Amino acid sequence: MILEMKNIQKQFDGLEVLKDISFGVDSGEVVSIIGPSGSGKSTLLRCATFLETIDGGEITYMGKKAAHTNERGEAVYVHARELRQFRSYYGLVFQQFNLFPHYSILRNVIDAPIRVQKRSREDAVSTAMGLLAKMGIADKADAYPFQLSGGQQQRVAIARALAMRPEILFFDEPTSALDPELTGEVLKVIRQLADEKMTMVVVTHEMAFAKAVSNRVIFMDGGVIVEQGDPRDVFENPQEERTKRFLSVFER
Amino acid sequence: MTLETMLSLMSEGMIKTCGIFILTLLGAMPLGLIVALLKKSRFIVVRGIVSAYISVMRGTPLMLQLLAWYFGPYYLFRLEIGGWRYPALILGFVLNYAAYFSEIYRGGIESIPVGQYEAAEVLGYTRVQTFIHVVLPQVIKRIMPPVTNEVITLVKDTSLAFSISYVELFSQAKQISSSHTTFMPFVIAGVFYFVANYIVAFIMGRIEKRLDYYK
Repeated sequence: MILEMKNIQKQFDGLEVLKDISFGVDSGEVVSIIGPSGSGKSTLLRCATFLETIDGGEITYMGKKAAHTNERGEAVYVHARELRQFRSYYGLVFQQFNLFPHYSILRNVIDAPIRVQKRSREDAVSTAMGLLAKMGIADKADAYPFQLSGGQQQRVAIARALAMRPEILFFDEPTSALDPELTGEVLKVIRQLADEKMTMVVVTHEMAFAKAVSNRVIFMDGGVIVEQGDPRDVFENPQEERTKRFLSVFER
Repeated sequence: MTLETMLSLMSEGMIKTCGIFILTLLGAMPLGLIVALLKKSRFIVVRGIVSAYISVMRGTPLMLQLLAWYFGPYYLFRLEIGGWRYPALILGFVLNYAAYFSEIYRGGIESIPVGQYEAAEVLGYTRVQTFIHVVLPQVIKRIMPPVTNEVITLVKDTSLAFSISYVELFSQAKQISSSHTTFMPFVIAGVFYFVANYIVAFIMGRIEKRLDYYK
């Protein structure tokens, strides 16, 4: 198992956003997390990537524990330096891309491999050019983020995450900030990664995409996992009332 | 007195004015960054001290501060202040300008979207790497216009040195003017300040242009 989250609890000012959530991701799996806004799906992703600290529970990557709950019921993380090592296991693609605007596209993709992973420049550049070609934007290597469309920027962000050679890639609503005509190009790239057996967890509102690409769909609502399983079962034959109600909004 | 002698007399003052200007920038620009970072310290005592410092520096006249730095040691501790004039002058300018610069930096730092920090964090950058390589370059671009303003103000503020009888350009103009009953020295000083600021604005404009390669 690449990622295992057990009994995750998270509160914001006393409001329980995640209530005892447990889930794991196996190598090669593509998991989609769907649910209404405020259901806690983005928070779950932010907890998995240590952008939020959990209040209770356990986070394990590659069999190594990054956080657990002690006898007093407090969540304890490994030391900051060790935590940084855990970051090499995963990548995260943000809704708002968050590219570095002062760096060229190429520099965006090679900077962290060079600076953080201490890889050689030649190695980083050849990896980056390969990834940019795969994303269909090799010709933009010398451009700056502001010169690219949202869809292109998001593909750069995916290349930047992949350049770190993560075991697992998280997507936090990767197409929500895009114009409708640009979502396709990003989804196509994610689908291509799925075909290559890249392990991914995608928080998304794109139901058709979730159904077509993922091996497993998790429906979250009110800070809990209401239902999960094979996408065909969840979408065509939901067992829970809440799932039915949520899916009925998305008319086919 | 011919214009030529007047100019050669005043050139000394111009050099001294440039000296105040350069030393103040060299001291205040880095110190301002330290102050800006201290203001974001997690220790409330540090934040409190920094806030008090900034509000005193901004809330009282620079002329008064210069007088205080120069005469303070004598009135408070009966210390000998011979030779203390120039250090007091530079200290006063640096501390005053550092306060203003720190607020400009802080505004710039706070304007960087949180997503930039998060992206860097997820990629494994340390906090120091994030600040130096991701945040600071973007801050510099954003703060260029207010910094230009501040630097231009400094060119003119150097004339406040006359309040503690440091003979820079303005004091000198005043002296020559009263001893020779002519307004010409002030005209020369005025042209000097104007040209100096024209150069400052030109250079800063060039830097801004160079940073224009991204948005």
